[in-house]
Amino acid sequence: MNVLSLALLALLAPAAAAAVLAVVPVLRRHGWPAAAVCVLGSTVSFAAALAILARSLDDPGPHQQVVPWLKASSTAVAEVGVRVDGVVAAMLVVVTLVALCVQVFSLGYMHDEPRPGYGRYFAYHALFLLSMNVLVVAPNLLQLFVGWELVGVTSYLLIGFYYRKPSAARAALKAFWVTKFADMGFLIGLFVLFVASGSFGWDAKLAPGVATVVTLLFFLAVVGKSAQFPLHVWLPDAMEGPTPVSALLHAATMVAAGVFLVVRADPLFAQAPDTRSIMLGLGAATALFAACLALVQTDIKKVLAYSTCSQLGYMIAALGAGSALAGFFHLTTHAFFKALLFLAAGSAIHAVHSNDIRDMGGLARRMPLTTAAFVAGALALAGIPGLSGFFSKDMVLEAVEGKLGSVPWAALLLTAFLTAFYMGRVVFVAFFGTPSGPAAEHAHEPGWSMRGPLLVLTVLAVGAGLLARPFATLYGAEYHFAMGAGPTLAAALALGGFTLAYVVFGRARGQEPGVTAWVARLAETSAIDRFYELTYRRVALVVADGLGWFDRYVVDGLINVLGYSTLEAGSRVRGIQTGFAPDYVLAAMLGVVGLAFWAVLR
Amino acid sequence: MTLSTCLVLAAALFSIGVYGLLSRRQLVAILLSVELMANAGNIVFIAFSHFRGGSLGQVFTIFSLALTVAEVVVGLALVLLLYRRHGDTQVGLASEMKG
Repeated sequence: MNVLSLALLALLAPAAAAAVLAVVPVLRRHGWPAAAVCVLGSTVSFAAALAILARSLDDPGPHQQVVPWLKASSTAVAEVGVRVDGVVAAMLVVVTLVALCVQVFSLGYMHDEPRPGYGRYFAYHALFLLSMNVLVVAPNLLQLFVGWELVGVTSYLLIGFYYRKPSAARAALKAFWVTKFADMGFLIGLFVLFVASGSFGWDAKLAPGVATVVTLLFFLAVVGKSAQFPLHVWLPDAMEGPTPVSALLHAATMVAAGVFLVVRADPLFAQAPDTRSIMLGLGAATALFAACLALVQTDIKKVLAYSTCSQLGYMIAALGAGSALAGFFHLTTHAFFKALLFLAAGSAIHAVHSNDIRDMGGLARRMPLTTAAFVAGALALAGIPGLSGFFSKDMVLEAVEGKLGSVPWAALLLTAFLTAFYMGRVVFVAFFGTPSGPAAEHAHEPGWSMRGPLLVLTVLAVGAGLLARPFATLYGAEYHFAMGAGPTLAAALALGGFTLAYVVFGRARGQEPGVTAWVARLAETSAIDRFYELTYRRVALVVADGLGWFDRYVVDGLINVLGYSTLEAGSRVRGIQTGFAPDYVLAAMLGVVGLAFWAVLR
Repeated sequence: MTLSTCLVLAAALFSIGVYGLLSRRQLVAILLSVELMANAGNIVFIAFSHFRGGSLGQVFTIFSLALTVAEVVVGLALVLLLYRRHGDTQVGLASEMKG
């Protein structure tokens, strides 16, 4: 099979799974057949992705096969199809691998779910993998947009998976609205791009002003999808979904779609230095800001959610600094270690039945494998030397260094320190110390379907740093690592942060000391939410009230006046209908006489 | 006898019909008035056919007679219905169309 057939297979396997699960409800009702179909589709997709990667290492392409789409008077406006190049090969493996791990993990994690819910869950997962693959193999930005919206829908469905829970339903709506608001930027950007260049390709040459407008519009969508300040508010709430969903959609793959878009549209962004400066600044600001918020969360998933915002900020900053390779490599390593962290957290939540790190404590003795996995993920995220996060973070820092007066660089270094500190906090409070309750005391390791994915992802989170060189080859670039001043500084900060966390929380006995209380006051987590709420009340509601008044009294008023005057006129003239037949005859006769006069006198 | 005397006769007959139609209150009388008006029309047909030549007017009169018979049948049926309903054939009794 050639590489394009493989890409088509990777795309169609989850599509077939999703279609079968959609049209055969009996599979969903019984639960496990749906899971089997879904995992089978993902396995085939993953195998195809691996084969593509193996071939792309020799011949990175690009290969492309498209069919015309949206035919208007014999010329097609757009094309759909598959495209395989280095970026696609790498991204496809990341997406399908993490998706497969998460789905296998879910087999055990969602076991207590009623069987129809279990089936529905896996049907959504198959749909998600299809959508993500549509996005990844897209040969142009229009198909990318289709996949982009599809993952948005599946994200909505999966956040609201527990739709009977009001908070989950609200979170799903919030995520949908915030990202849809941002997606308008993508859509308008596509229009502008098409008008300016006549195609939806990302390699068009644009006038400088147009390029800035188009990329800024795309960047708006990226800000929404990749949860950058100030549109990050949906991501922490999205943790209402099941934990494996958070791992797959809201950490590893879907939120990274924004970064992927910029990597894809890199030739366009390269023509817009202003947009890149904004991305660099906003990315670094988000990284620092979200890291501050992650410091004070007590919900383990919220810590990870804000950490995701923060790391996405890293990627955006790298892209803003012009290094798509650094951003993309950090995306890859982040996908592994953040999925690992979420799954390990899910394993702990599954055992303790609480999201709060203060309810955990001392899990290390009861759940050694989960603890080992979480610690490995935390160390990788913190950027401890030798682990994957260290290499990718270093690549980002190197790209950012010296840009915009080195302010973003300093912010990212500070973020690296904070990252190590807050991950250390979670590790020491939740997994070491003494158990804080009976649930934590009687916690036990989950079954093999949950342990297997943890092991796979642990290996990748630790070792993915070694992939930097082949990864750069795929991207058509060179990569050399040297332990210079920058990496040493970053490593020192990471180790310092972790050590400080040990000093503060190491003997906390599963209790949160009061030290972080001041930070809580410093970084009010819901300030942005409250700002939106205020804006909503003050502006949107007033405008809506005004429009409502206009609609009720002017538009409806006109219609009502028309209706009432018709009725009134009717009741006035009804008197001439006497119901007495000779009167009608008389009227007809008068009419005839009138006509006769008219005919004669004409 | 000339064409104009025939036309005057027809006009007089028609006017008598109209007068009856408007002034009578009994449905049967009204039907009779309508018959007068119809026959005024027939006279005009015959008169023109006779004085101007051609037989088309006579053919039309035959048609008209047949139509009138049918009309009288329907009219008498209505009269019967009104009688069954109200026990009388006063035209004012049928006042359902009053607004």
